[in-house]
Formats: sequence, C-alpha cells, structure tokens
Amino acid sequence: MLIEAPPEGGTSRRGFVLRTLRHRPAAVIGTTILVLVAVGAILAPLIAPYGLHEQVGPVFGRPSWSHPLGLDDGGIDMLTLLMWGARVSLVVGFAATFVSMAIGGAIGVLAGYFGGWVDTVLMRITDYFLVIPDVPLMIVVAAIWGPSLFHIIIVIGILLWTSTARVIRAQVKSVRERVYVKRARALGAGHARIVLKHVLPQVAPLLIANTVLTVAVAIFDETALSFLGLGDPSTTSLGKVIENAFQRAAISAGAWWAIVWPGVLVTLIILGCSLVGGALEDALNPRLRVAHLGARTFRLRPLVGRGQEAL
Amino acid sequence: MRGADYVLKRITFAIVTVFVAVSLNFVLFRLAPGTAVSNLARVPHATPQLRHALEVQFGLDKSKGAQYVIYLKQLVHGNLGISFENEQPVSKNLRIDLINTLPMVTLGTLFSILIGTLTGVIAAWRRGTPTEAATVSSALGFYAMPTQWLGLMLIVIFAGTLPTGGMTNEFLLNPGFWQHLRDLGSHILLPALTLGLTLYGEYTLIVRSAMLETLGEDYILTARAKGLRPWAIVRKHALRNAMLPITTLVALSLGYVVAGAILIEIVFSWPGVGRAVYLAVQERDYPMLQGAFLLLTISVVICNLIADLLYFKLDPRITE
Amino acid sequence: MSKKWLAAVPLAIAALIFATAATGSGSSSKGGGTFKLGTASGIDSLNPFVAFNQDAYSAFEYIYPILVQYDSHLHYAPFFATSWHASKDGKSWTFKTQPHAKWSDGKPLTAADAAWTINTDVKYKDGATANVAGLVSHITGAKAPNATTLVVNYDGRVNPSWVLGQFQQYAILPQHIWAQHLGKKGAGLKTFPNSAPVVGSGPFNLVRFKMNDIALFQRNASYWGPKPKIDVFGLQQYSNDDAMITALKAHDLDAVESVPATTMKTLRGSGFVVQDVKGLDQTDFIINSNPKKKKHRELLNLKVKEAFDHAIDRKKIISVVYLGAAQQPSSIIPAPAGAGWHNTTLKTPTFNIALANKILDKLGYKKGPGGIRVANGKKMSYDVIIPTDVQSLPRTFQIIQADFAKIGVQLKQDALDSTAAFNKMTGSNYTYQGFDIAMWDWTALIDPDFMLSVTTCAQWGGWSDSGFCDKKYDKMYSQQQTAATPAKRRQIVWQMQAYLYKQRPYLWLANDDQVSAVSKNWAGFTNTAQGPFNELSISVLTHVHQK
Repeated sequence: MLIEAPPEGGTSRRGFVLRTLRHRPAAVIGTTILVLVAVGAILAPLIAPYGLHEQVGPVFGRPSWSHPLGLDDGGIDMLTLLMWGARVSLVVGFAATFVSMAIGGAIGVLAGYFGGWVDTVLMRITDYFLVIPDVPLMIVVAAIWGPSLFHIIIVIGILLWTSTARVIRAQVKSVRERVYVKRARALGAGHARIVLKHVLPQVAPLLIANTVLTVAVAIFDETALSFLGLGDPSTTSLGKVIENAFQRAAISAGAWWAIVWPGVLVTLIILGCSLVGGALEDALNPRLRVAHLGARTFRLRPLVGRGQEAL
Repeated sequence: MRGADYVLKRITFAIVTVFVAVSLNFVLFRLAPGTAVSNLARVPHATPQLRHALEVQFGLDKSKGAQYVIYLKQLVHGNLGISFENEQPVSKNLRIDLINTLPMVTLGTLFSILIGTLTGVIAAWRRGTPTEAATVSSALGFYAMPTQWLGLMLIVIFAGTLPTGGMTNEFLLNPGFWQHLRDLGSHILLPALTLGLTLYGEYTLIVRSAMLETLGEDYILTARAKGLRPWAIVRKHALRNAMLPITTLVALSLGYVVAGAILIEIVFSWPGVGRAVYLAVQERDYPMLQGAFLLLTISVVICNLIADLLYFKLDPRITE
Repeated sequence: MSKKWLAAVPLAIAALIFATAATGSGSSSKGGGTFKLGTASGIDSLNPFVAFNQDAYSAFEYIYPILVQYDSHLHYAPFFATSWHASKDGKSWTFKTQPHAKWSDGKPLTAADAAWTINTDVKYKDGATANVAGLVSHITGAKAPNATTLVVNYDGRVNPSWVLGQFQQYAILPQHIWAQHLGKKGAGLKTFPNSAPVVGSGPFNLVRFKMNDIALFQRNASYWGPKPKIDVFGLQQYSNDDAMITALKAHDLDAVESVPATTMKTLRGSGFVVQDVKGLDQTDFIINSNPKKKKHRELLNLKVKEAFDHAIDRKKIISVVYLGAAQQPSSIIPAPAGAGWHNTTLKTPTFNIALANKILDKLGYKKGPGGIRVANGKKMSYDVIIPTDVQSLPRTFQIIQADFAKIGVQLKQDALDSTAAFNKMTGSNYTYQGFDIAMWDWTALIDPDFMLSVTTCAQWGGWSDSGFCDKKYDKMYSQQQTAATPAKRRQIVWQMQAYLYKQRPYLWLANDDQVSAVSKNWAGFTNTAQGPFNELSISVLTHVHQK
C-alpha cells in the first residue's frame, strides 16, 4: 500500500496535531473560524445581547444599530439566535460524531487488527451500511418515530461511521505490520495491550482528522433534516433558524437577513471543519488521494492506495 | 486470472447487498407505526369493518411473513406494488420520477465536473499565487454551503429572470418542440446549477492534486523546455493523470446524488425521485417508499460496482 | 368500462388550441385567456369518497352538478335544482332539476343521477362512502319519477336549512361512470382514481390533473348555467409559500389563494391587490376530553381548562403569528359563518395570568420544584402534539408555552406529521388514551352541522380529535337536525356553542383571516371567507376576467 506512514515517534499525538494546525495556512484559517464560533456558542448564555425567546421588535424587523443582523419571524434578535443556534448545531454535530466515532473506530480497529474473517465480515457490514440511502432513511426515521434530538443524533451517527471505519482500518493495518508491534506479539503481549499502547497512538491523529470532518457532515445533515421539517422543534439549531424563516416566507417578505446570516454561519462552520480536517489528513498522508470532503457523497470511500484491501 | 476472480467477487457481493437491502427495506417500513389505512380510515362513522376492508385491499391483513414472501415474489416479476396514494403501479410512478430527476442530476454533475476541472487546472497551474488560494477557497466555500440554502440564495438572485419552480410551465399547452425544449431548459438551469456549485469542490481538489503530481515530473519539464504550449501539456499529460480519480468519483457520486438531490427537488418543486420520497413519507405510502428505497439502493450498488471495476481496469499501477 | 368519453378528449384539446390561438397572449380582450391560481395546499384526490383537502371540494364545486349554492349573502340559491319544497310532514323533499342538461361526455344528466348517487351513498355509508355519510344522514331513499324531479325521503321531520346545508356540499356523480366501479360491497368506489379528463357537468371540465402539481380546468361550452368568461383556469400547487409568492411576483401566476401574512406588505408594495377578509379557519388548543381518560385526570376539570383559557395571550398571537390578519375567536362556529349561526353572546376569554393562577391555587395545585404545579401527585407537565403541516402552530406554541410557565404549567412540544399525530391522539383502537394536549386547526363550513358534529360521540374514530363524548350534547346535535323551523334550529345551535364554551374541549386561539392576492390585470376575483376558490358557489371563477 502506498500510503506513506508517518515516521515512527515523529507523530506524537499532541505535538503533531498542534504543529499542523499552526503551520498550514488552511488549518490556521479553519481553526480560527472554529474557535471564534465555539467561543460565541459556549458563552451564548452570558454574552447574547437579547433573550432567545424575547420579542424585541416587529416580525422580520430590518437590521438596525441595535440589531445589526435584523429580527426573525418572531421579532427575535438574529445575532442572539445565531449564537444559540450555533450552540445546538455544534452539540448535535459533536454528539452524532461521537456515536459514529465510537462505532466506526471500534470496527476499524477490530477489522484492521485481526484481519482474516473478522475483517471480511466487518467490511461486508460496512459496505451494506454504505449503500443505504441516507437522506431518505433520515426522513423516514424522523417522520415516523418522531423528530427528537435523540433520534436525529442516533440516525446521523449510524450513517456516518462507515468512512471512519475504513480509514481507521487502513491505518491500523499498516501499523500492525510494524516491527515493534511484531516484537511485542512475539514477547507475548495481549491484543488489548498492543492495541491500546501501540496501535491507537499511531491511529489517533487520523482519528482526530476524521472526527473533525465528521462533525462537518453531521452539522450538514442536521441542517438538511431541519429543512425537511424534521428537526427537533423544541431546540433552535441553525438549520431550524433557516427552516423557520423559510416557512414564514422570509424571502418573499423581503427579509433576506433571516435566511442569509444563518446560512453563512453554517457554511463557515462546515468550512472550518473541512479545512482543519483536510489539513490534518494531508499532513499525515501526503499521497493520500482522498476525496475527503465527503460532506455530500456522504460516505464516499477514500480513493486510497492500490490493491484490493484499499477498495 | 486474478482479474476475473476479482470481478466475480464484486458482482456477487453486489447481488447479495441488493438482497439484504430488499429485506431490510421491508422490515423498516413494517416496523413503523401508523399505516396508510389509518389515513384512509379516518372518516366519519368509521367502523372496524371499513378498516378491515381497506386492510384486505392493501394486503395488510396477512401475517408479516406472508407479506414478505408476497413482496419477494412480486419483486422478482418486476412488480413493486401499487402506490397507496394514486392507485398506480409504483414502478410506473418511479419511472416517471426517475425520468424527471436524471436530466437535472446529470446536468448538475456535468456542471460540477466542468467547473471543478477548470478551477483545478487553474489552481495547479498558478500554484503558490493568490489565484490558487482564491480558487481553492471558493471551491471549499461552495462545497460547505447547505444545499437548500444555496438553492434559496439562487432563487433570490434569479427570481424574475429564470423560473424558480417546477419542471415545465404547466400552462404552456401543446408547445412546439423547440418551445418545449426552451421551457425545460430554463427550468432545469437553477436546480442543476445549485447541484453543480455544491459538488464541484471535490473535483477541484482532485484535479489540482493530480496535476500537481504530474507537473512535477521530469518529462513535463522536458516538454516545456521543448516549447510545448502550456495547455497542450495540461491536456496531454496532467489531465490524463486525473482521469482515473475523476471517473471513479463520478461513478461513486452518481449513485448517491439521486438521493442527495432531495433537498434541491424540494426547494425547486422538481417532480423527481427525491420529492416523491418526501411526499410518500408524509402519506405513509409504503409501496412507494419501499420502491424508492430499493431504486436508490440499487443505483448506489450498481454505481459502486462500476466504480470498482473502472478503478480496477484503469489503474495502471495494479500489477496483478 | 365505456371508452366513449375518450372521444371527448381530442375535442377538448382542439377546443383548447383554438381558444388559446384565438386569444393569444397579451391580448386585451375582455373575454378568454388563462387564469393561473397558485395554492400551497392542492387537490389530494379526484375521488369524492377519498378527498380531504379544501381544494378538492372547491374543484368538485366547479365540475360536478350540485343542487344548491350560496348567494353573495350566504342564502341558499338554485343551482342544479331550480326549485324545491318539502312535504307537509317534513319527511320528504322534492327538487326540480335542470332540464336538457348533459354530462361532459354528452350523456344526459337527469334527476336519476342524483337519486342514484344518494342511494349509493346511503347503501354503503358504513363502508366505502363513509366520507359523505354525514351528508346523507336521516335519508331513507331517493327516487326520480321523471328526468327533472328528484324526491328524497327522510326517516323523520328534518330542518329545512339543515337539508339545504347538506345538499349545498353534495356532488352528484354520473351513474353511467361510477356504477361500473362498485366492486365488492362498494369498496371499488374508494379506489377508483377518477382521473382526468373527469366526466362531470359544471362551468368547467377538469381536463388535466397531476397530483401535487397542476389541475387544468377548461371552459365547458355546453354548460346549462352561467358560462365563465375565461377559457382555461389552472390550479398550480407549490410545495412552499416562498416559491409560490416568487412566482406571483414574476407573473408566472395571476393570483394566489392564500397568502402568508408576512408577505402582505411587500405584495401590496409590488402592485398586487391583497384582499384580507374574515375567514373560517381557527387554530385550537385541544384538551383530551375523553371521560374515561386514565392519566392526568385534572385536565377533565372544567376549572383547570378555564384557567388555561385565561393564560392564552390571543392578542400577541394575532400580532406576531398573523401580523394582525386574524380575529379573536370565541366559539366553535366562527363569526363569518353566515345566517347568524355564530353565538354572539360568547366572549373571548380575557388574558389574565393573575386570574389563571388564582383559579389553580384555589384547586389546591401547589407549585413544586421548578415552579411547576402538582396535581393529584403528578406534575402539571404535558406533551403537546403538534402536526407539522400547520405553519402557524410552532410560533403560537412558543407564545403559549412561555405564558403557561407563568401559571406553573409546563408544556413540551411533540412534533409529528399529521398522520402520526392523529394516530397518537386517537390511539390504536380509537380509545383516545394516548395524549393530553394537542394543537391543530379546523376550517368550518357555512352550515354549522359539520363543525358541531366533530365533538359528538359518533365521531370517535372519525373526525373527533378531542375524545369529547357527552350525551346531552349529542341530543342537542340531533335536535338541530330535526328542528321544525330555522329559528328553532338557530336557537339550538347557539345553545350547543354555549355548552361547548363551558366544556372547553377546544381552547380557540385565533380565527385567521382569509388573505388572497391577485394581479391588477384581472377583475372579478373576489375573496370570501372560504377563499376565492371555494365550495360556496361558482361565482368567482365564472366572473373573473382580464381587464
């Protein structure tokens, strides 16, 4: 396999990630965006200018000095909505990613480490999940079982783990062949110990890169679900903000600010994640011809390497 | 030998996947609460007899196992059942929907390939300049936009210039061939453009990296020294290197993009497969949903199979 | 199945081409042309035994013969029936119908078709024709002694305005088409798609129909009544309001049935005529009133419901959700319903948080942790089912939720699509045990019978979404159907409204206006309480014409 594995010892988890983030311009921009958004979102309860449910002006009020981003269809300040909305969107993104990481990471490690029939079975299961039409499945689950946040997070998580599993599996396979791992086996170390001590640290940077990218996709999916009217109605995610404005004919009413700003913010968040994740992946595997944007062809398999196992 | 072995393996896997998909589709929809009968039976003086009569009519009164067997038998004969909503065969409905979706999706994919290739070439050729940064940034920027939002933005910009909804002007009665074509063209433009803009980023990156790889090669330097014009170099050598990943990406994307176009179809009221799925869920039109899911799954499986085989055939570096 | 009607299709198309070619686009003639109407709702089925949506019934008004219609004062006027009278004992009604009338396939349209339709609906009213069973209740049979006389027999004396009210909504179907589709026990009636071109008889013929897309109506040259001034009328369905209003502004549409309140200002500014009239639609807060309810029985307490009623800020809802284009509601029969049906003595409950708190305090429901009251050992915290297809509900809910928090009641949103919502409310065997509170809306008709029926015991499993079942109320319901005089009927209808006012299965939130918009190039397009495209009469689309 022509993936150039990072030099041994040269990718201590923390050092490598931070170095990449600091030096590559794409990563710098992406990190800046994400940090700004995260700070705004986390501190929303403290620094939001108005109340989330507080009507401070007329429906679809125009932007003004006191409300630079205008008001939404309930007369609520847009800036406040964006801050709280980012909060919910990020929570959904991370929660769904956590689910998908847990499943995908576990399957990837098991398949890559044990190989053989374990690998084959797990990969077949992965391949099956890859072909489920994702947006229709999300629609069905949310429409029929109810659009609670919990259902949405689970559904998104279940659909996203496959790309993680594949990428991790490829990496684990290459690590497994390394000399020091073989030596550890010869010395009688147990599987668990080897995985935890030797395999995971090498896999970690790639896992982090993949996590960041998955967050982007999760947020994108949640926005799509909200647009289809299937978002959790008791929370206000950015997707819901767009959906509310759309339902109340914001464009026809001339209230472009109700739709433009939330969309811009979602775009920035997804962009930030893509930049950071992409930079990390690039740094790890410069020859990895990964179509790693993956947000739309949601579970696109990485066009990685040569030979059967890569496919 | 290895080649034939590989091909056979992939095809077998594709068939098995389809079968598993079929069965799981069936289970998924039978598990869901609420049936189409509950909708139809919502009438004044509704009696248990009426509900039962409707259930018999739709075959919902038999055991799940019996329903499954009937479903498989019908499937083998190409019978996807009758839609609850308009009493027409599901296969007929889906065929019409597919005929509506495919041109839009194909045009959108073409847009994305064209824009992506162009921007990828520019980015690689102008490596290290602000042009490259701008090109790649806008590619990533468009890619990061939520599809429905971009569609809405295009509607805002083009309202009045281009039609913003539907596939044809329904009031154009008995139009001539060219008039009809022009009508279709004006309607398909915005949805396809939305699709193209949201997808082209991937192609930009692939083309750019493929070109960068090739442009650094010695024989390119030789060609330039010989005085070959830049575009000829790009076309003859660099682009060819990008053909493989582009082709594979197209094949893979096509499988998903039919489903992914749901958002576009809803924003633009495009009467295709995506919108049919959305409406079928609201109506609990299970036969339509099952049929649509099956269609989408099979299209993904087939496209993945094609991508696998293409990759296998085209990649010169597979030595076996 | 007779295929002779197919012959009419090329004729129709030829006529269409001729008409379009003759008038051309941009012609300033007073007659002819194509009128394009946009709707966000649409015709859900062409089968009257299946259709649910208002647009479907409005379509039937224009393509099927109906015995009576409303005039501009909402009094009954002749339509397919030229005159009528009741027998002395009130048990039999005789209608004289139009002579020399034809269906769109050329077959004669006579009183026999009416008799057949009525008898078939009565025969299968517990099965396939249950959808229209309410309209033929009390009818024992109908016959047509000759081509222009229809005699309808009832099981007892029935109130005249009630009889006419039912027939005003009743579409007569062509026997020679529908009789072939009876199927087993009439079940075929429900599955016959009745696709376009529909065999009917009205000012228009429905010649083209694509579900969720377009319905094209063509002027019926052989109509026995007033002919429309336009040649073609199209009803185009949009999946969202924004697309529809954008199309209106771009002049791809000539008018829109129902315009979202947020766009009224910009449309007026763009030169469209926006007509805001009082409407018949009311959003409601449904409290499960099933007397056998197991959980949260405090919701059956009339005092609790009264307290809730005083915690709803209707002024704010009307201002924020409808931008002022709504009225304060007070009764199950909204004010715009004609002929004095609305009980004007009932007043909208005042918005008074202090009063609501006082009532709940007096009941002994003390506020516990989090400020939420405790009733019978359980927190007063309720899930509110909200169907996702009523756009005004989410904002309305937020306003109510905030105010209810001030009286110590917690509300949580449970959004489901309308099928799942109704399923959950009625429960698996229509036992109405599965929900506490829901929100929805009702569009009343002019005649109050239908609206009053939804809270009868008989409508369990049918239209009832409140689980309300009260013998006293049911008695009043049948009394108003058989009252001797219109005045007596009105009295009973007022009593029923007052009764429901106290029982409160519904807390009425807002009576939204009917707001339509039309381009300045057209005249004669008037809005009514039921919208411009309605099932009240055929006047709007037969009068509309280019300026």
